[in-house]
Amino acid sequence: MVDAALHVEGLSVAYATRAGWLKALDGVSLSIPPGGVLGLVGESGSGKSTVVLALLGLLGPSARVDAQRLDFDGHDLLHNAASIRGRRVGVVFQDAAASLNPALTIGTQVIEPMRTHLHTERRAAWTRGTELLDEMGIPRPAEVMHSYPHQLSGGMKQRVGIATALASEPDLLLLDEPTTALDVTIEAQILSLLDELRKRRNLAMLLVSHNLGIVDRLCDSVSVLYAGRLAESGTTSAVLHHPRHPYTKGLLAALPRPDRPHAGRLAPIPGGLPDLHTLDPGCNFRPRCAFAAEGCEQPQTSHGADHTVSCHRVEEVADLSWPIEAAPTATVSTKRTALPLLEAETMSARFDSGGWLARLLGKAGGVLAVDRVSLSIRTGEVVGLVGESGCGKSTLGRLLLRLLPARTGTLRFGGGVVEAQADRDFRRRAQVVFQNPDTSLNPRQTVSVILQRAVQWFAMAHGTAAVAAEIDRLLDLVRLPRHYASRYPHQLSGGEKQRVGIARALASRPEFLVCDEAVSALDVSVQAAILNLLRDLRDELGVAYLFISHDIGVIAHIADRVAVMYHGTIVEEGPVEDVLHPPYHPYTELLLSSVPLIGKGRRPSPAQSTTAAKPVTGGCKFAARCSRRVGQICDSVTPPLQQAGPGHTILCHIPLLELAAMPHWLGQQALSEEPTP
Amino acid sequence: MHMAAFLLKRIAGLLGVLLGMSVLIFGIVHILPGNVAYAILGEFASPAAIATLEAKLGLNDPLPVQYWRWLSAMLQGDFGMSLVMSRPAAPLIAEALGRSALLAGFSFALIAAGGIALGLYAATHHGRTSDKVLTLAQFVLIAVPEFFWAILAVLFFASWMNLLPATGYAPMSSGVASWAAHLVLPVMVLSFGLVAHVSRLTRSSMLEVLDSRYVLAARARGLPEGRVLWRHALPNALLPAITVLAIDAGLLIGGIVVVETVFAYPGLGRLLVFAIERHDLPLLQVGMMVVTAVYAVANLIAELLYAMLNPRIRVAGATA
Amino acid sequence: MSVLAMPRLRVPSPLALGGTLLAVIVAATLVGIFVTPYDPTAFSVRVRLQPPSLLHPFGTDEFGRDVLSRVLAGGHLSLATGFGAMLISLFVGVPLGLIAAFHRGIVQEVIMRAVDLLIALPPVLLGLLVLAVTPPGLGKTIAAVGLVYIPILVRLTRAVALGLLEEDFVQAARARGEGAIPILWHEILPNAWPPIIVECGLRVTFAILLGSALSFLGLGPQPPASEWGLMIAEGRDFLTQAPWVCLAPGLCLCVLLVSVNLVGEGLREKLDPQLRGRAHG
Repeated sequence: MVDAALHVEGLSVAYATRAGWLKALDGVSLSIPPGGVLGLVGESGSGKSTVVLALLGLLGPSARVDAQRLDFDGHDLLHNAASIRGRRVGVVFQDAAASLNPALTIGTQVIEPMRTHLHTERRAAWTRGTELLDEMGIPRPAEVMHSYPHQLSGGMKQRVGIATALASEPDLLLLDEPTTALDVTIEAQILSLLDELRKRRNLAMLLVSHNLGIVDRLCDSVSVLYAGRLAESGTTSAVLHHPRHPYTKGLLAALPRPDRPHAGRLAPIPGGLPDLHTLDPGCNFRPRCAFAAEGCEQPQTSHGADHTVSCHRVEEVADLSWPIEAAPTATVSTKRTALPLLEAETMSARFDSGGWLARLLGKAGGVLAVDRVSLSIRTGEVVGLVGESGCGKSTLGRLLLRLLPARTGTLRFGGGVVEAQADRDFRRRAQVVFQNPDTSLNPRQTVSVILQRAVQWFAMAHGTAAVAAEIDRLLDLVRLPRHYASRYPHQLSGGEKQRVGIARALASRPEFLVCDEAVSALDVSVQAAILNLLRDLRDELGVAYLFISHDIGVIAHIADRVAVMYHGTIVEEGPVEDVLHPPYHPYTELLLSSVPLIGKGRRPSPAQSTTAAKPVTGGCKFAARCSRRVGQICDSVTPPLQQAGPGHTILCHIPLLELAAMPHWLGQQALSEEPTP
Repeated sequence: MHMAAFLLKRIAGLLGVLLGMSVLIFGIVHILPGNVAYAILGEFASPAAIATLEAKLGLNDPLPVQYWRWLSAMLQGDFGMSLVMSRPAAPLIAEALGRSALLAGFSFALIAAGGIALGLYAATHHGRTSDKVLTLAQFVLIAVPEFFWAILAVLFFASWMNLLPATGYAPMSSGVASWAAHLVLPVMVLSFGLVAHVSRLTRSSMLEVLDSRYVLAARARGLPEGRVLWRHALPNALLPAITVLAIDAGLLIGGIVVVETVFAYPGLGRLLVFAIERHDLPLLQVGMMVVTAVYAVANLIAELLYAMLNPRIRVAGATA
Repeated sequence: MSVLAMPRLRVPSPLALGGTLLAVIVAATLVGIFVTPYDPTAFSVRVRLQPPSLLHPFGTDEFGRDVLSRVLAGGHLSLATGFGAMLISLFVGVPLGLIAAFHRGIVQEVIMRAVDLLIALPPVLLGLLVLAVTPPGLGKTIAAVGLVYIPILVRLTRAVALGLLEEDFVQAARARGEGAIPILWHEILPNAWPPIIVECGLRVTFAILLGSALSFLGLGPQPPASEWGLMIAEGRDFLTQAPWVCLAPGLCLCVLLVSVNLVGEGLREKLDPQLRGRAHG
């Protein structure tokens, strides 16, 4: 036996579906040494979660599993996974909230594996469980043991999920997108916890993720999965810093990165996943590959020993990088002016709880989702709005469109005041693109009807022929084939749906678009294409965007200016380059240093308190989480708005000079080691 | 929310519903076409007789005055007189209610136990022959009206097999065997359809839970299947079953009216039908109020049970 | 792979099976209003309580009337109760539900409290109450049963509409400045009708059950009408000597209910997004 703890050779999985066998995995081979961490990378539909379930023997009766070898430390997982499942192999799933039983206490769920596998006596198990929660960095563990899952925050739930997986002292931990549902600051905490655990316990880990940054942060080696087959495997630095397979090159080229703001156009991967019902004997990435050539239709064999690449042109493409999408030829000069197009002054929104009766009696509770925010956006300018979930950024977007009633403040657009009941002219000039492509289109209307409704409502065209021509123009604008007009949303891919959503917003030839997490639900390769499109449209049409996103990489790529939002307040605002460099707000620093970045290596997690305390009224809202608190003043006095540079403001008590002395989030060595994709 | 506040709010809601219901019942009885006095005396009664009766019943007063008289009397425990039987309504209703409660109690126990057990069995044997047979049986059982079950049961067990009495009620004093024998058929008939209903919904909620992420996570922890089923899946699957049982309590009350009529069982349902047939409106009003109150209390109990078994309602607030 | 390639045994879908059965019943009872083998109301003392025979396939009742003819002549009453009540609750409940979803505040409060009140009364009792004070008849049975199911449709419609109002495609229409009516017509209703239709399918079964139970109690159509519930009630006195008088309408009622149930189930399978999602995922 080799030294590998986990050994997978030729793993194939097929699901029985109505259309026949769906081949989710085709001959996947992996190995993890004891204490090693392997990252399994792939976009949605690549089959990466199927690997986890196959290792656990939990694929269910509709799946057919084949493998030449599938064992862990001498145990056959193909036929007898149940014997060590939960005992030697632990697993953490993506959605911690859904993975914990809502009806059982945390304690019950943490001690279960100990009771079952180690036959620990109940009281001893409870003590051990409390220690375990403490080890996971959960405050007041004894109390949490008696709590129910709904009483914990998302990050705490995931810590409990890790504790239950570790309770039976496993040797291998399977992590299926363990941080995908979490905010970037919480993600950073969980990642450093995992990093600590592997060192302390010599745990082997399989980290399944779509996020190349966290794989780079945590893993020794990486395997890249595409449509059920391995494209490339090797050490992390080899695969992610010197990729050799065209798909890996494409993935890295498509990724918007905060360390390279405004880095020109991204390089999307055209097309979509192949139909997995029929196996392509040749390279299954061929239809999307920029380097496809003769011989790609032949079965591909893996090249290399430590760094295996499933591509016969590996030597020929070694020095080529993935081609950048060509910019459209008909680029009109951008019309950016210094005049503000939209001006919001001290706008607030409040969400009430309690019914109309409580409101009448003045007893309604509620949260101030947006707290006296002022923001201005110029014609043709892209303002990025970044912050964690629940910070009020979407609410602010809706306030600026007058889709939600504002408690306070005024809104000016194009020189005139926009009343609470916005008129049709404002509606025509300010439009919105939504996050979720699956819910943003009416499933019962064809693309043509969806666009036609917007065209006719704003009377942009009259008569059947004119409307049809206008629909064609809109489809051309978002680079969709004209015959897509007759399709229903369910016949489109995620990226195509998003293009239709953009076309609908553009139907009234608006001057301002709110893009509410418009690319967040998309895979990296598709996201790049949509980001390019939005940038082109800005250049062609001179539209201004409020670009709302939790992804700093996306914001850094597309925005001219950035506003950082925390708990309903904009804590920092300024040009992208300024916000990405000191002086910055401590919260901006935390956000930036939390981003898992390729090539940054293993940095310690940013210092912050693990409890997300509710902000006190009166003082700085970030005070409870801030690692740079000045003192009592942070809790009691509203911080001043400091001018850090032209158009760059920071809301903080700390003197500017001190803020400017903060270390750069990228650190010295990471900056010098610029990776080449 | 605190449990006490929750309870107070629900009880206030219950009282509100009962008050609204008293207006509704009183309103329908008095406003709908069909004059009360005519209804009592028949359409060929002489005008003089009608005038006398109307004066006697206070029917010439404005409706709010009549309503208030009725409500305040009821609140003081005076449930009025049965017109037809010329007896106080309260003891009549109390006696009938007791007998109906017997019927309802046994049926409800059977429905809850049988329905949940069959539903869980079907869910844990999902896709097998036994599950398919049960599903088919549920389908037919739900589609057969109670009164037709009653006819079939009487025909089979009473007329042909001569096993059980076809109708009536025997008090405990006439012997436990006779008492029980008179209950078997009505309880059986009442339960058939609702057992099917409860088991069908329990099955689907259990299947949903078994499909959940936390059951997958429990299996991934290597817990024995028994523990996954009973400790992890069952408590979550039972919560919707409570809501279903509360809805079925209403259907059960409807069933009791029909079944008591078929089996000539002297309970509250039969008393109500009697009151309708004989236009005994005071008795009808009070009887309706009692049934509504019973149903409302049953719903309240279900809601409290739901809250108690659901930690998301029982335990509020964040610890971390 | 060969197992899947094999043609599967074709089981007719619930919708097809139930639909066919229901079509046959509807056709037979519609014809039965005008044409029956015998006059359904003609007494004939000589053929009282005859068991089923070639001349009288379902036998005769205590007045010598042909049971088959009576079943055929009375079937439309059960159907009318079921579908009529469903239509009433549909046409009253859906608009009220939509209004309650759009007008938060006092209008919604009034509608929803009224719904709470109606739901607090067990279904049969609400029917009994309405029918108790007015002379019984088909129209009133339909109205009473319809009234029972209005609150359920109000709640369902409101819940569905509130869910849809949060959807991004409705937000997009609001961002265009569209008013309540176009949003309702183009965005909400096309997506709201599947769950409403599914509920209506279920409601027809319950309405027929409730309507026949009320007739059985003597609160529906009056003799000599041959509503099936009423026929069963009338035949009870001769149950031992002539069970066919009860069994014939009873079995027909069961077949009708099973077929409506099948159609409802079939509609649910076809339209329920949750079930559809499961089939694909």
